[in-house]
Amino acid sequence: MIGSILRWAALFLACFVLQTTVVPVVSVFGIKPDLLMVLLFFLALRTGQMGAVWVGFFLGLAQDLYTPSTLGQNALAKTVAGFFAGFFNERVMRTDLVFQLVLLVIMFVIHDALFYFVQVTKGGHEGGIVLQELVRATLPRTLYSIVFALVPCLKERFFPTSPYRR
Amino acid sequence: MHWLLELLVRYRVYVSLCLTFFTSVWMITSSPELQAKTVRVLTLSLFYPFQITSDQILLIRDIFSENRRLKSKLVQLSTGVAQFREQAAENDRLRAMIGFAQESTYELIPVRVLARDPSLNFKSIVVTAGRNRDVLPFMPVVSERGVAGKVVQVMPHLSLVQLLTDPLNRISVMVQRSRVMSILETENGKEFFAHFRTYEDAVVDDTLVTSGLGGIFPKGFLVGRIAKIVDERDPLFKRAFITLFAEPSRQEELFIVKLSPQWAAFKQEADSLLETK
Repeated sequence: MIGSILRWAALFLACFVLQTTVVPVVSVFGIKPDLLMVLLFFLALRTGQMGAVWVGFFLGLAQDLYTPSTLGQNALAKTVAGFFAGFFNERVMRTDLVFQLVLLVIMFVIHDALFYFVQVTKGGHEGGIVLQELVRATLPRTLYSIVFALVPCLKERFFPTSPYRR
Repeated sequence: MHWLLELLVRYRVYVSLCLTFFTSVWMITSSPELQAKTVRVLTLSLFYPFQITSDQILLIRDIFSENRRLKSKLVQLSTGVAQFREQAAENDRLRAMIGFAQESTYELIPVRVLARDPSLNFKSIVVTAGRNRDVLPFMPVVSERGVAGKVVQVMPHLSLVQLLTDPLNRISVMVQRSRVMSILETENGKEFFAHFRTYEDAVVDDTLVTSGLGGIFPKGFLVGRIAKIVDERDPLFKRAFITLFAEPSRQEELFIVKLSPQWAAFKQEADSLLETK
């Protein structure tokens, strides 16, 4: 149990380091992959909703600390996104690669839709902006993140480590 | 109370979701002042270790970018320093040239080397003066250290100079001390030598100057120094290896000596004598 927590903590730390150092270098036209979201997705698949909700909440809260004006928005969005992904816990159901990628896309959409919805509501803007932002910002970010998500997906497919996939 | 705990454990996922959800909503809907206070409290308590870690990571990222910036700055400064050194060296050369030009009794045309013969040994160079500066073929080319070559072709604004490194370019020289004469030669453009009779007074460290007999170079221009003397196969002669004072391949600024070839006047005189006969 403790070993698992430590392993996930190390993974999140490594992802955070990569997100702040390597990701800005590999950004294409300003589009950056979200490695932390990808890792949260895999955490949700492996450990279920409980872990995903709390990790998502604290992960979002940590992000919010950098921009106090959006305090709570990332926390809320990541909590709900983690909760959604946790429905497809490997202990409960087995999912194939394509389905996992579709889930990841939906998770990104839920996350960003919630974030932009709160933003629009707070700022009193038009609701149509949410859809625009989802197409303009979320879609490319999701597609780019999928590239990085494919690495562990393919590794798990050919060299499975999860006891539920053997 | 027990039933409440049981309920919480059974629905722990939904309880967690509700807790985090409403906490998030509370944070979103709170006033900006309260938000700032919350951020401050969280940063200084709950997230302090992570904050420190992330700050260190960001610091490392900044170190990388600063390193890149400093490297580019270093390259800029190194280039600048190299330019300044180059200018200082040029300044020294120009000062020496000015001194030489003032000392010389000949009219000198200062020129810069514009291009070099691309062969392994530079045999010729192009300099920045031509007919526009009244340059004529066979005018001597010298540096402040000594003889460098002669003009062989004149163009409107440029001239082609045959350097001493060209094996076809031989000049009449003499030992400054003993006035013994010889011809300066080279076979490969690197080693320069002059033949002397065995009994002639030419020793190592003697200075060679132009003899003035070639018809191109006036008498007394510095040429080089005897570095080594070896015996020839023919016991009547000895070969003196010469180190040139003006290494022709390293010259950047030179002077064309504005002096018509002396043998041209002789040739005209000889031709006129032939015509009268």
